[in-house]
Amino acid sequence: MEKNNPPLRIIVPGRVFRREATDASHEINFYHLEGLMIDKDISAANFKAIIQDFYREFFGKPLKIRFIPSFFPFVEPGFQVDISCLNCQGRGCSACQQSGWLEMMGAGMVHPNVLKNSGLNPKFWQGFAFGMGIERLVMMKYKINDIRLFYGGDLRFLKQF
Amino acid sequence: MNFSYNWLQSFFKKKLPKPEKLAELLTMHSFEVAEVKKFNRDWILDIDILPNRGPDSFSCLGIAREISTLAGFKYIADKYELKEDKGIKARDFINVEVRDKTACSRYTARVITEVKVGFSPKWMRERLEACGLKPINNIVDVANYVMLETGQPLHAFDGEKLQDRKIIVRFAKEGEKIITLDEERYRLEKEMLVITDAKKPVAIAGIKGGKPPEIDLKTKIVVLESANFNPRVIRRASKRIDLKTDASWRFEHGIDPNLTEFAINRATLLIQEIAGGRIAQGLIDFYPGKVFPKRVKLDLDYVTSLLGIKISHQEIIAILKSLGFKIKHLKSKIIEVEVPTFRLDVSIPEDLIEEIGRIHGYQEIPAQFPVAALIPPKRNLDIFWENLSGGILKEAGFTEAYNYSFISEKDREIFRYSKRELMEVENPTSLDFQYLRPSLIPNLLKNIEKNFRDFAEIKIFELGKIFHHPKTEKKVLSGVMSGEVFYETKGTIDLLLNKLGVSNIWFDEYRPKPGENKLSIWQPKKCAEIKINHEKIGFLGEISPKILDSLKVAIKVSAFDIDFEKLSKLTSEEHEYRPISRFPSAVRDIAILVPREVKVAQVLNKIYDTGKKLVRDVDLFDIYEGGELPAGKKNLAFHIIYQAEDRTMTSEEIDGLQKKIISALEKNRTWQVRQ
Repeated sequence: MEKNNPPLRIIVPGRVFRREATDASHEINFYHLEGLMIDKDISAANFKAIIQDFYREFFGKPLKIRFIPSFFPFVEPGFQVDISCLNCQGRGCSACQQSGWLEMMGAGMVHPNVLKNSGLNPKFWQGFAFGMGIERLVMMKYKINDIRLFYGGDLRFLKQF
Repeated sequence: MNFSYNWLQSFFKKKLPKPEKLAELLTMHSFEVAEVKKFNRDWILDIDILPNRGPDSFSCLGIAREISTLAGFKYIADKYELKEDKGIKARDFINVEVRDKTACSRYTARVITEVKVGFSPKWMRERLEACGLKPINNIVDVANYVMLETGQPLHAFDGEKLQDRKIIVRFAKEGEKIITLDEERYRLEKEMLVITDAKKPVAIAGIKGGKPPEIDLKTKIVVLESANFNPRVIRRASKRIDLKTDASWRFEHGIDPNLTEFAINRATLLIQEIAGGRIAQGLIDFYPGKVFPKRVKLDLDYVTSLLGIKISHQEIIAILKSLGFKIKHLKSKIIEVEVPTFRLDVSIPEDLIEEIGRIHGYQEIPAQFPVAALIPPKRNLDIFWENLSGGILKEAGFTEAYNYSFISEKDREIFRYSKRELMEVENPTSLDFQYLRPSLIPNLLKNIEKNFRDFAEIKIFELGKIFHHPKTEKKVLSGVMSGEVFYETKGTIDLLLNKLGVSNIWFDEYRPKPGENKLSIWQPKKCAEIKINHEKIGFLGEISPKILDSLKVAIKVSAFDIDFEKLSKLTSEEHEYRPISRFPSAVRDIAILVPREVKVAQVLNKIYDTGKKLVRDVDLFDIYEGGELPAGKKNLAFHIIYQAEDRTMTSEEIDGLQKKIISALEKNRTWQVRQ
């Protein structure tokens, strides 16, 4: 963002690291996909349209999307993005703990301080940012129940892809 | 955090929505409710309060405020009227001295005398238990109860056990000691804030009370503390002594300094109600820098522009008012908003827009594509070469693996990496992840170990980053193949590079530079450097049996290791179209008997050197050793493909060239071409 002038549309995939105990849904390294769109008049409604389209394409089926309040220091307002459960179409099942929704990612409207620190005047520019775990997407698409399989090097798993 | 539904109900005259319904309202507009469960005749709502909302919402009162906005009910906000006993003065019982006003911006205290310590009433014990707290006695329980209710941690001292009736708030002296209420001993350090009496620490400020002035059944005089401590000071101390409490957790998130007074009055009144006693006159209050409400200007058009939904000005104002904000109209579309001091999270217009958006409902925001010029993205060549290379290897029967970016200390020893060349992780999750990987080979070999019992043939590659000290990282492409497959590995590299459009490939004998120890991994006679034009781009060979033994791999393995950054650069430069010759090609075979140690590449290089451009390709199709051959010799057989770009080669021409190649090969006296 510091090197380029808006309008900006960026996606950045990459390996990220966390220091935490591993289990079926936690890993110490995994892939994250971060995205950013900055222009004169980019709104939360624009983000909703884009991300909904992305999920429909990715999963190849109609689904609904919802934002619920969330907090990340680099966005304001911040959202958690949920999609209607792929398993039960939102009716509620064990995969979504009966809620009908699956938590997909964190997102929000870029915090004015982030814009300022990148040399942009928040009076003129605004936009959204999001970040999602790629393994989580793949796990949902292929119904994989353990994230550790991705880094286990087991050919019985790897050869299926 | 757990909340009691009945307790929340007690803030309202109107009946609250059913627990599930209430949970949904909160999830959609405030905080996600993780779980609703029955608890005796109550329900517990487990609410994931967002960290920035801790200051106003780590309390029943805070959640009640949210519910009041969401359900449109008025909540009961009592003002607590105390009946102070004019006969006794608080300052006669206690003297408070705060030595650092940055660490402690406010300290309020009250004194209640002639209390009767005992059990708390059942309703209070039930509520505490519903929220996961253990009832202790009526005084301590009130302090805890009011913390859960208001979000303000409180602490009660036995006034008669405070030396010289003193309370001092100061930083600890290095090495000072304290025994806490739970009989744990702590050694204090000088950046930890403590509460002391005239002599000794009596509490670790904002974290845990000390044993000496503990409330017990004989306590008659209660000194209540309701203070505001600096979040950073508390977080640092809590981390340092590894002690997290309900109080420290709240202070870490920040609390409105204006809350101390409300909470202490509430607690004092409750103590009198439950334990009797007299309230000494006067609130002791150290509060040198009173905090006043912030004012934030909001452009109403910006609300629409950022959220992408039109919300009427009337509704915007109604929402803000319902949350306790005060509104002043400046111009037709600009308002000034006064933010209540308990909303520590609100300071800029975007914060207000979040409030408006979530209360109005994010679900109301339509999905609407932006209108903008489409600019096709620049082609990312890195991704292009990665995908192409991966694709070629997959076509050749390889499986792609992603391994951890780390190796263990044990791996370091096996592969004999020196600590100096590795990037060590300062605080690894486990010993398996102690160093950033300096090569992809160790983890790929472990993949072989994991799989060789189940699969007869294994071919795995990985494309990833490796790391070296000091702070360098590089993308490499490495692969492993199981079995006696040195030549297949070589063939794989030929295939890969050819398909990437690189033709000038050489395999060169490895001559270690002084100080290099690559041979600890590779089998000395069966390894080679991979070169494009004379530039080294990688290495291939058989893995040394010693390494395989250490990793418990009971089969042979060959591997390759390519500097992908170099490769893609050379590839990009070299990828040039070579016109397809319109003229036919011809194939001649050649078989040659050479000493066993002669490398195939040496023979190949000779053929190419002699044949030049007219030798379009050379394929090794047989290697034979032993049997009827003379001792120490091996037989290599090649197809040579002849083709010219500008003419049909005559058979005389081809035969001539073939002869020239044969004599070039036989210049080496130990090489013998078999006719």
